[in-house]
Amino acid sequence: MKVGVYFCRCGGIVSDKIDADEVHRRLVRLPEMGYFTAIDLACSEEGKAAMTADLAQRGPDRVVVIACSPREHEETFRAVLANAGINPFLMQMVNVREHVAWVTESGQTATDKAFHLARAALARVVHHEPLERREIDVSTDTLIIGAGPAGLKAAITLAEAGRKVVLVEKGPILGGMPVRYEEVFPRMECGPCVLEPFMAEAMHGPHAHNIEILLTSEVVELAGSLGSFSVKVKVSPRYVDLTTCVGCGACIEPCPVSHPNAVNCNLSTRKAIDFAFFGGLPNVPYIDPRACLRLAGQEPACELCRTACPVAGAVQLDAREQVVDRQVGALLLAVGSSLYDCGRLPELGYRRLPGVLSSLEFERMAAGTGPTGGEIRLSDGRPPERVAIIHCVGSLDPKHNPYCSGVCCLNAFKFNRILGHKVPRARVSHYFRTIVAPGKDECDLYQQAASAPTTTMLSYRQIDELSAELNGDGRISIRQDTRIDDYDMVVLMPAIIPSESTRQLAHLLEVGLDHRGFCEELHGRVDPTKSKTRGIYLAGTCQAPMDLARAMTQAASAAGLIMAELVPGRKLPIEAIHAEVDADRCSGCRCCLAVCPYKALSLDPDREVAEVNPVRCVGCGTCVATCPSGVIKGRHFTNAQIFAEIEGILT
Amino acid sequence: MKSQRDFEPKIVGFLCNWCSYAGADKAGAAQTTYPANVRVVRIMCTGRMDPQFALKAFASGADGILVLGCHPGDCHYKEQNFRMIQRHRLFLGLLRQYGIEGARCRLDFVSAGEGDKFARVIAETVEAIRALGPLRRRPIVQPNEEGDLHHGDSRA
Repeated sequence: MKVGVYFCRCGGIVSDKIDADEVHRRLVRLPEMGYFTAIDLACSEEGKAAMTADLAQRGPDRVVVIACSPREHEETFRAVLANAGINPFLMQMVNVREHVAWVTESGQTATDKAFHLARAALARVVHHEPLERREIDVSTDTLIIGAGPAGLKAAITLAEAGRKVVLVEKGPILGGMPVRYEEVFPRMECGPCVLEPFMAEAMHGPHAHNIEILLTSEVVELAGSLGSFSVKVKVSPRYVDLTTCVGCGACIEPCPVSHPNAVNCNLSTRKAIDFAFFGGLPNVPYIDPRACLRLAGQEPACELCRTACPVAGAVQLDAREQVVDRQVGALLLAVGSSLYDCGRLPELGYRRLPGVLSSLEFERMAAGTGPTGGEIRLSDGRPPERVAIIHCVGSLDPKHNPYCSGVCCLNAFKFNRILGHKVPRARVSHYFRTIVAPGKDECDLYQQAASAPTTTMLSYRQIDELSAELNGDGRISIRQDTRIDDYDMVVLMPAIIPSESTRQLAHLLEVGLDHRGFCEELHGRVDPTKSKTRGIYLAGTCQAPMDLARAMTQAASAAGLIMAELVPGRKLPIEAIHAEVDADRCSGCRCCLAVCPYKALSLDPDREVAEVNPVRCVGCGTCVATCPSGVIKGRHFTNAQIFAEIEGILT
Repeated sequence: MKSQRDFEPKIVGFLCNWCSYAGADKAGAAQTTYPANVRVVRIMCTGRMDPQFALKAFASGADGILVLGCHPGDCHYKEQNFRMIQRHRLFLGLLRQYGIEGARCRLDFVSAGEGDKFARVIAETVEAIRALGPLRRRPIVQPNEEGDLHHGDSRA
């Protein structure tokens, strides 16, 4: 085996310090040494052309390039080898510029160090193996989980680019949380008005043919990786046909069952067949099978809704659950979040005292589409006269959630504005720990609240300073140390927390969760919309608490990244440097599975041996060093190669 | 016999590609001079650092080992340098059993921007190993006919 050695003088920068002839003289004694050629500037166009011609003519078995940092020019010289018809991985670079010439005082010492590094490269390169950069065909379709603002934005963006999208939503309607809000901060636009164009576009827009919407649906199984995921989606029946129903609502009135409407925080009731709420899209009722007398088995013959329906076949009482398969190239997780249970702070009176509401209950009460038609009122129907809004319920608190959700203060000031319009005589007190209102528009909302004559700002240090009790005349007394104020309505602003769906889906999709339980991003600053599992992207509050603007930005970001990674007509290159398991010698101990954060390793269920998914593997080599049986090979960084390099460097 | 001051230790540096190798490149670009005793083997991540590499280096004539990775929390591969930190602690225990001082296997963290720190760590390590003197190796222990383990008599 003959190694061709190229020594780049780097225009004199290297050769002024390192004696190329001396390195040559000492290398010649090595058995693997083939020939030695010095080049003035190997990375220049002339240098690359000369090297390509020389390599093509001499055809060495392996190549060593003594030059600069491989971080700068490894790809350059790999391309030179490829152009000369030599496998690009049969080359090793020796970094004598950054690591020797520039940092060593004496020329003699520098030359000696350069020789040892070159000797190590020669010893290593004979163990190099030709590697292929494989390419695989990919699907450019995307499956999005969650049809809230982020999911809708991503779906529309991808559809507009001509990409096929499967939009999977657990609930019966689109729009997620903000569609249930009367107004969204900071500009106080109405929530449905902001989101309706997105929902209309996804359902009936010029690119809607690219979006398949699956409502009342959940992902139940996932296999594969970036470019070729295979997903099973369980589609639960709505019992009302989305295509034929005209949304007249004739089916609702005859239904004999009323039950609490969870979409309205159980502040109102709905029939077993009903709309989610007035204006919820698609404008098609659905049946809750747990409430329906027929579907729950109590009145198997009841068909009052079907009889009342003027469209034949629209009410489908015999519909069955289906599981559908979809093949996609990427997944986007946009399942939103939950609110911290205010009942975990019992002192504040939630679920204990009438008139104590969570922020979401207040949102629904304030919404024209909500249980009171937008009227803010107490249980006896009167409007409130004094309202307390308590910030940081379960936030910035090591006993509950140590982080700041970043949106609750602004939501509280939004409530202040809503109260000012709807109940102008009401006096509002904000109990706050610290005010968080960053952004170019957001401070206005705070200023308006703080300067309103009806508003009082009361500061507290710890939430345990506050306690709520019912006083003699049926109002709520909030005690803070010695101060006691009476209110007839108290609104609590709970922290945003990861939802149960996030936890379940993260487990199913093998997406990691961070120490707070949100979906863990690849990098918080530079890659917040990629998960650590290649091909699975994140957007919205399943990744972190955030406002609508940031969720929308993340969705567009994820859509852009998916479009860049999966391009129609282009194959997906697979990194040549990845791990490889010798299945015949693997004991199935799973140590490697535990150390890989990319979920690139899995256990073959039949053979009980580890296998590497080369699309997911990033080639870090941790599993290679971890394997107690030594049967994982790190391609291009094999034990044999590194041992030879160590020996060469020292002899 | 050479005095300790003249002793030029041989040290093998295992550097991760993303932070520490880049930090070494940065020291180069800034033309910060440092001793030439450390010869670098590039690995993609310190997570790849197999304790066998250090043993191989000691067996092949190294007087010291230097493992440099990304700062904890900054690993290019998320958390793999923590695997190296765990392994390093175990490895020091193993070295003790071989009678090799723990200071001969230093683990430190150098980011891509820390060219100065790289040069400083190199200088400190070279001084520390120089102070320890050359690594004293014993012949490989072979069981005798009775199966007992006896150290060879040469301690040179």
